[in-house]
This record gives sequence, C-alpha cells and structure tokens, in this order.
Amino acid sequence: MTDSDALYLDYAASTPPAREVAGAMAACLSGREPFANPSSTHASGRAAGNAVDEARARLGALLNASPRDLLFTSGATESDNLAIAGAARFRAHRGRHLVTMPTEHKAVVDTFRALEKQGFDVTWLRPGTDGVLDIVQLEAALRDDTQLVSVMHVNNETGIVQDIGAIGALCRDRDVLFHTDAAQSVGKLPIDLASLPVDLLSLTAHKFYGPQGIGALYVANRDGCGVEPLLHGGGQERRLRPGTLPLHQVVGLGAAAALASERQADDLRHMQVLRDQLWNGLQKLPGLHLNGAPEQQYPGILNVSADGVDGESLMLALEPLEVASGSACNSLSKEPSYVLRALGRDDALAQSAIRFSFGRPTRAADIERATDIYCAAITRLRALAPQAAG
Amino acid sequence: MQAPYYNEAVRRLFAAPAHAGDASGITADVARGGAHVVLAADLDGSRIVKMRFRVLGCPHLVAAAEAACAGLEGQPAAALREFSIGDIMGILEIPVEKTGPMLLLEDAIGALGQQIISKDSNRS
Repeated sequence: MTDSDALYLDYAASTPPAREVAGAMAACLSGREPFANPSSTHASGRAAGNAVDEARARLGALLNASPRDLLFTSGATESDNLAIAGAARFRAHRGRHLVTMPTEHKAVVDTFRALEKQGFDVTWLRPGTDGVLDIVQLEAALRDDTQLVSVMHVNNETGIVQDIGAIGALCRDRDVLFHTDAAQSVGKLPIDLASLPVDLLSLTAHKFYGPQGIGALYVANRDGCGVEPLLHGGGQERRLRPGTLPLHQVVGLGAAAALASERQADDLRHMQVLRDQLWNGLQKLPGLHLNGAPEQQYPGILNVSADGVDGESLMLALEPLEVASGSACNSLSKEPSYVLRALGRDDALAQSAIRFSFGRPTRAADIERATDIYCAAITRLRALAPQAAG
Repeated sequence: MQAPYYNEAVRRLFAAPAHAGDASGITADVARGGAHVVLAADLDGSRIVKMRFRVLGCPHLVAAAEAACAGLEGQPAAALREFSIGDIMGILEIPVEKTGPMLLLEDAIGALGQQIISKDSNRS
C-alpha cells in the first residue's frame, strides 16, 4: 500500500516498471505469449528462446555490445558477485591482488571483503574530496600480480561519475581485468561497450524502468577475460550462470532496454532540468552542502547535507516526501554513510544527508513541492535545536 | 506486516511539540554522542510552572523530551530529582538501540533538579 499523498523522489533505489515493460511481462504471464522453458527444444520452448534472444539483442543494442557477451542474472548484486569473485578465481593462477574503492556499493565491497578472507590481497583506493578516483593513484596501486580492478560508473549515493574509459584503458594496458558496477548508469548515460575498455559490467533492470529481480553481466569476449561460475547445475547462460531463465522478467528487461535506447537523451535532459530546479530552490536555505561536484555528477541524483539537523529526524519531518537518507545501508541506521565519510564529510553532515533522485514521471511541480517540504522541515528542526547547533 | 518504527504517540509529539522553546528560569545543557538536550524550567516557589526543551536528536528523543516536559509541568520541583525515563520509554515504545539518547534526557532532567538544589542551598 502506498500513501496517495506521497511524493516519490527515490528513483535511484528503484524505478516503476514502464507501461511497455508491464505490458510485455503481462503478456508472458498470461500464457498467450511464449511462456515455456527457453531451454526446451520443442516449439513452445523455441518460441521462449526466441523471446530471450530478442531481449538480449535489445540490451546489446542499448550497450552497443554483442548479445552473446551478456548473461542474465537476478540483478546487480549477483552480477557484481559473479564478476568479482568469478574473475578473481578465473585469474587466481596468475596472481591474487585486486583493487577497488571503499565508496563502492555494498555488493562490491562485501564481495571483496569475502575474497580477502579467502586469501586475496585487496588494495582499497580512497577517492579525492570530490569523490573521483585519481588515475595516478590507481596506476601506482597496480602490481605485477594485480588481476582485477573494480570501480563503479555512477555512485548510487552521490551520483559521482568515474572516468571508466581512462580506468579501463590503464587496466587494459597493464593486462588487468576491469569491472564496473553500472547499476546506476545503464539506461541513463550513454555506454558504448564496443569502444569502452570494460571487461565486466554489472546492471539491473529495475533502475531503468524494468522489473526487479533481473539483471545482467557483460563479460567481454577477449583472451584472458572470463569468470568462474559461482553456481552449478545447468548449461544456461554459457554455463556461467545456470538455472532456468525467468522469461517474463527477461522480456521485461528487454522492453526496458529498448525504451531506454529511445528515451535516454531526453531523459538525461529532463534530469538536468529537475536537478537544477531543485538545487536552485534549496539554496535559499543557509548551511546546505552539496555532496559532490555538479560537473562530475549524473544529474538524476542530488545529495545534500544540512548543518544543525539530525538526519533521522529530518527523514521523518520530510514525510510524505520519499527520499533516501545518508545512513549507510537502511533508513533506520544511525551509522553515517561510508561514502560521504570517504568524501571528507564529518559524521554530523554525513548523517544529515538526503539523496533526492528523479525519474521520468517527475515533474517541475513535484520539485517545487519537494523544495517546500525540505525547506520547511529544515527550518522547523533548526528552530527546535539548541542555538549552538543551528 | 512490519511494526512501525515510530508509534502514533512519537509521531504526534514529534510533529507538534508544544513544549519546544525556552524558559527564563534555570537551565540544563547536556550533549553526548551527537545528541544535544537543553531544558529550561520556570518555578513558582517549589512548583514547576513552565518546562521547555530544545533538542538536536532523533524523533524518539524529541518526543520523549516533549512528553517529559508536559509531565513535569505543574509538579513539585522534587519531581525532577525523582524522574525516571522508564515510563516514557514504555509509552513511546522506544527501541532498545535508543537507550543512549533516553539516558541523555534523563541526565538533563537530573541536572535541572541538581541546579534547583544548588540554588536553594545558596539561598539558605
């Protein structure tokens, strides 16, 4: 059940399935469209297989990648696990040194932590105060036994965009695999895998108006690049990710990818307008801090901290505005965001951070209302606080 | 269904804290772990006629401060020294991880009571 008064600005957490996506999935679930096991060899199975092929082709078109290099998974978390743990094991005979950043998504951070426990040596590179990885710092961290670098494309909390072209080129030059978690960028920013030196790329459908529970991993078809499967039990997905494919979700992902191919440029312009409107509106309040530099950020995300307010109280005071807090892993955690702490924010500012994220359905009137709600909440909480804190 | 993290009483007291603000009498100022509580009381003889609070902290702390001020107003000053946060924690269904801020509030109320004792002994 949702609150009819709610104003949803949490599209970086999940987007609603597009009408075209829901329609394609409903047709599958109705039994009128292909419904059979795509691995079956009878006519119904072949029809289902054709639907999977079409979805894979649509995703390939969005990324300018060969469809055969795309594996369907249950989402970005599984893709990250398969890419990182799978590639580390695939190349373990060559060396056991890996490189990543503490500002990555938990799906990446926790996978590297698990590999550390298994004897891999991980170098954690901290970003500058602008959130961006210094390529010179990365170059210095690479060793003869380095096998994998993983750096996300767009940060899920701040929207900061990393230069995956430059990072990938350096890795390619040093014969190191490069993985990027692109959960926040696929379908939103142009990604051309035919020209980008990316070996492994994770994505999930529900961040670009597809269904939840389906994602993909791109594995470049080149010498020295590969992953060891984490699951066993069938020959699906080139034996790298076995299990019967969820046809309706795969079809939904394909529909979302096709829509993104059409809408991406317009969507990006729309995000820019909304972001500028919100930031311009919020700046009438003193003591606000933008987390990240606008010229290095995806415009669909705006992350703001405020002096003199408690983050948990701010989240409650913002209702019915639905946004994400600066707490680490869930809205009720008091732990300040490790991403914002890594950017140099102190605990109080990191804890007061609010992530606004916009979507296709967001309108200028929504931003106006969100601005009013945020400003009123900050003003009220500051009035409630001891003078020294305000 | 997931239980609400803030019960109705917390939501109501947080949304409209009638006792937020300042009083001209004695004050206590306590801060710890990122939370900050300032309490102020006006006395008429040995009776508390006005209690006000300012809080930088979570919604549970705001609601508890409001509930405490409302409950102490009209009470004898001795009630400050006898105050225990336990009843308010029960009514507001404060989760165990919020015990720290609740103890901060209890300390602030105790400090207010201590100030009254000091003031009385200075007078005598």
